[in-house]
Parts: sequence; structure tokens; C-alpha cells
Amino acid sequence: MVLSANELTLGYRGQAVVSNVSFHVAAGDVLAVVGHNGSGKSTLVKTILGTLPLIGGELSWHGGVPSEIAFLGQRSEFDTRVPVRLRDIVEMGAWSRLGFAGRIDPAGRAAIEAAMERTGTAAIADTPLHMLSAGQLQRALFARTIVQDAPVILLDEPFTAIDQSTEADLLALIDQWSGEGRAVIMVLHDLSAVLQHCHAALLLGRGTARFGPLDTTLTPANLVDLAYLTPSQAAWQERMFSRDVDSLSGGGDV
Amino acid sequence: MFEWLEYEFMLRALAATSVLSFSIAPVGAFLVLRRLSLAGEAMAHAIVPGIVIGFVIAGLSVASMIIGGLAAGITVALLTSLLARFTIIREDASLASLYLISLALGIFILSAAGSAVPLKSFLFGSILGMDDETLYLIGATATVTLVSFALILRPLVTSTIDPVFHESRSSRPGLVVHWFMFLVVLNLLGAFKALGTLMAVGLMILPATAARYWVSTLTGYLVLTFLFALASCWAGLVLSFYASEVPSGPAIILVAGAIFFVSVLFAPQGLGFLRRRRPSPR
Repeated sequence: MVLSANELTLGYRGQAVVSNVSFHVAAGDVLAVVGHNGSGKSTLVKTILGTLPLIGGELSWHGGVPSEIAFLGQRSEFDTRVPVRLRDIVEMGAWSRLGFAGRIDPAGRAAIEAAMERTGTAAIADTPLHMLSAGQLQRALFARTIVQDAPVILLDEPFTAIDQSTEADLLALIDQWSGEGRAVIMVLHDLSAVLQHCHAALLLGRGTARFGPLDTTLTPANLVDLAYLTPSQAAWQERMFSRDVDSLSGGGDV
Repeated sequence: MFEWLEYEFMLRALAATSVLSFSIAPVGAFLVLRRLSLAGEAMAHAIVPGIVIGFVIAGLSVASMIIGGLAAGITVALLTSLLARFTIIREDASLASLYLISLALGIFILSAAGSAVPLKSFLFGSILGMDDETLYLIGATATVTLVSFALILRPLVTSTIDPVFHESRSSRPGLVVHWFMFLVVLNLLGAFKALGTLMAVGLMILPATAARYWVSTLTGYLVLTFLFALASCWAGLVLSFYASEVPSGPAIILVAGAIFFVSVLFAPQGLGFLRRRRPSPR
């Protein structure tokens, strides 16, 4: 177990946004966090990062608070007009280990190059930031996350406005992190194929939370209960889903 | 043609602004990158009453100027964030209101006190004002600024590009930002004698804005910003020497403005009139 949360109450300046949040993450787990706007997803992210104090409950890091949590925020917060190149963004992943004036050693250089190779950005390493597409920038930020080499990785809506091939490449990387025994927590904006790569889900909404395996947590009943879907949307999804299952099982039987 | 080199006050002014360029350039560069140009402008006017009160009480001493200027700057910054947090008015409007009050108060006190310093050189700078104390102030400003940058450059860059990432890995993320704003005020005070309180911020913003049109790397940006600031100061001082009725502040800023417009027209990331036209850039 890496992180467990017991009956958390989260919010700002004593004002609760969501309560009864309990979940746990083990090494190698990929946890999806899902919820409507204002359900407390960002509040949870800040609380895990330690930038926002808990209002109530208990958040325990087993084996100590990790020295580094690799965090990848929403791209709307990112300023691409600063005169730096893609390579500099990836290097930022190594800065916290260097202190004020330390230089990146050859091993660190090699790690940065390898991360750019892995994410398919080595060929555009010297491209200025403002010339990058959304997908290229996200690949660079994943490379930065690799360089951070952290036991816990926290991703806030990493696939919003990203093309499908980039999404597929980056999901393979998340699978790899999971295989390496890193704990990955991923906030998702919509229910998508991304969920296939997750082991558990934390559903936030209406001031409360549900946690568990995907198929028992993201049920139509829960999604309606926690205001993620309206009843008619849930009914439609269920119809589409059962048709899928029917056609699959029908194909298998014949 | 180079007779201005024979005057001591010119040599002092050239030396002072050269050292000043070293420190005001990186501060201005990050002020522009952090989208704080207008906040810097407001801050430059906000510190005026502090300087004036210090001047009226203790005369034209560097210590009184620094204490007064820093006190006024911090007061306005705190009031601005309090008003933005607890009232309906947003930060830009409360800052604008406060700096205007502050500037008016400063000029009012200066005039009412029947100052020995002419208002014109207070507002717009004077080529003749570079006494020993001013040179020490600029030297100290540059030293503090450059040492600070050596220490905070990485977190400053990170928090400029990706503020939430910076917050995620720093135990006191606000520290870098507050230290940077302190450097802004310090450099405005350093620039005040040569450029005047109304023009000082121009040397911070114009070279940095002009340089951004030419470069794509941070090192290149900082170097070019410095060169533009230096060129503006030297050419502006010579201009002010020959047109002796023209205060040095506007002369320096007009040179910086000329560099800015040339950059807008011809630089690759400006309108790019020198570049061969390509299909529309992404």
C-alpha cells in the first residue's frame, strides 16, 4: 500500500467541498478519479500534493511521504509563450534534485534523452514551445514526468484535447509505469476508453464519494446518484452497453 | 563628436546606467514573461510618495529613498490584494486606483514641501544627478539582483511556465514570487535618478518586450534584453547631452521605443517584414 485515505473531508478555508472520501492506492495501481465539475477533483489533487490542508479524516502515506510526487497539471495553466525549447521543459523534471546551482550530470543527461526518445519528442527537442501542438506539448510533459522518476504520479486530465495516436502512446507509458510499480492517480474528464487502463475508480459528486473496482463503482446507478449523468443519459449508456455485450457474446456463441 | 566623453557627469551617467542595465534587464525580462508589465508600471508610480516622504524628512539620501520606496511599494501591494480578496473590485482596478492616489499624494507632498529638487528631474530623471550615493545604490542593486537570480532562476522559470507544477514541488511556492517583486521595486529605485519616477519602469519593460520578438531561448532572451537596455541608456544619454533641455528619462525611453518598433516590424516573431512571406504560421 502506498497511500490510503480514510473518511477525508476536503475543501477550502474550512468550507467542505466533498466528504466521506475513502480510497487506497498500492504500488502499480492506476486509480481513476471521476466526477462532475465542482465535485472536488481538483481539491483532491491539491490535498494529495500537500498544498491544501485537510479539513477532516486521515491521509496516510505508507513508507513515508514520498520525496517526490510527479504532478502533471491541466494545460490551461501552462504558458507556452515563454522563450524556451521543448528540451528545457523535460529538464525541469530533474531540477528539484539539483538544488540551486547543481548541474545535470551525464546520467541525468542520458535520462532526459531517453525520456524524449520514449515519448517520441527527441526529433523536436529544440523546437520552441509556442510552435508545439497540444499533443507534442503533452508528450514533452510526459517526458518530464519520466525524468522525475517518482514513486507516485498524479495526472490531472492528461488526455483532454489530445489526438488519438498521442493518447494511445501515452496510455502505453502509463501501463509501463504501473508495471514498474509506480502508483498512478489520474483525474479524468470523461468516461472513455482510458478507463480500460485503470484498476480502480474514485467517483466524486454531490459532496460525497464512492470507491472500488471499475465495474462496481462506475455503475449507471452510482453515476446518476453522484450527479455525473442524468437518468436519461445513464439509460442510454446502459442500452448502448448491453447491445455491445449482446453482440460480443452473440459472436462468441456462433 | 565625442566631446561628451570629457564631462565627468556624463561618464558617471554612462557607468551608472551600464551597471543598471545588467540588473534591470533580467528583472524586466521576467516581468514581461510573467505578464506583470502593467503591475510593474503601477508599482513604479505607487512608490513615489514613499520616496518623497523619505526625501522631505531626511533629504536626498539613498537610505531614506529605499526605506520610503520599499514601504510604499509593500503597502500598496498589500492593500491591493486585501481589496481584491475582500471586496467586489478586481485586482487590476484596485491597483490602478491605489497607484493613482499614491502618485498624486507623492507629487502633492513634493510640491507642498517646496522641494529643492525640480519636479521635472524628479519625474523624468536628470543626466546630472549621478552622485556617489546613487552610484553605490545602483552597484548594490545590481549585486543583490544578480546574486538573487543565481539562486531563484530555476524556481522562477518553473513558476513562470507552469505555476501549478511549481506549487506541487515547493514547500513555500510564494517565496520566489515575493522575492521577485522585491527585486522589481529595488531596481525601480535604482533607476529613479537617471530616468525619473515616471520613466524608470520603461527601461524594465521596453527592452524586454523588444527582445522577445527576436529569440526562442531563455539565454538569448536575457542577453538581448541586456544589450537593448544598454544601447537605450547610452544613446539616450548622448541625446539628452546634446538636447540639453530634454531630461534623460524620456530620451532613454524614446531610444528603447525606437528599438521596440524596429523589432515589431522586422523581427522573426514580430510582423517579420524582412522575412520572406510563407503560408500562414501555425
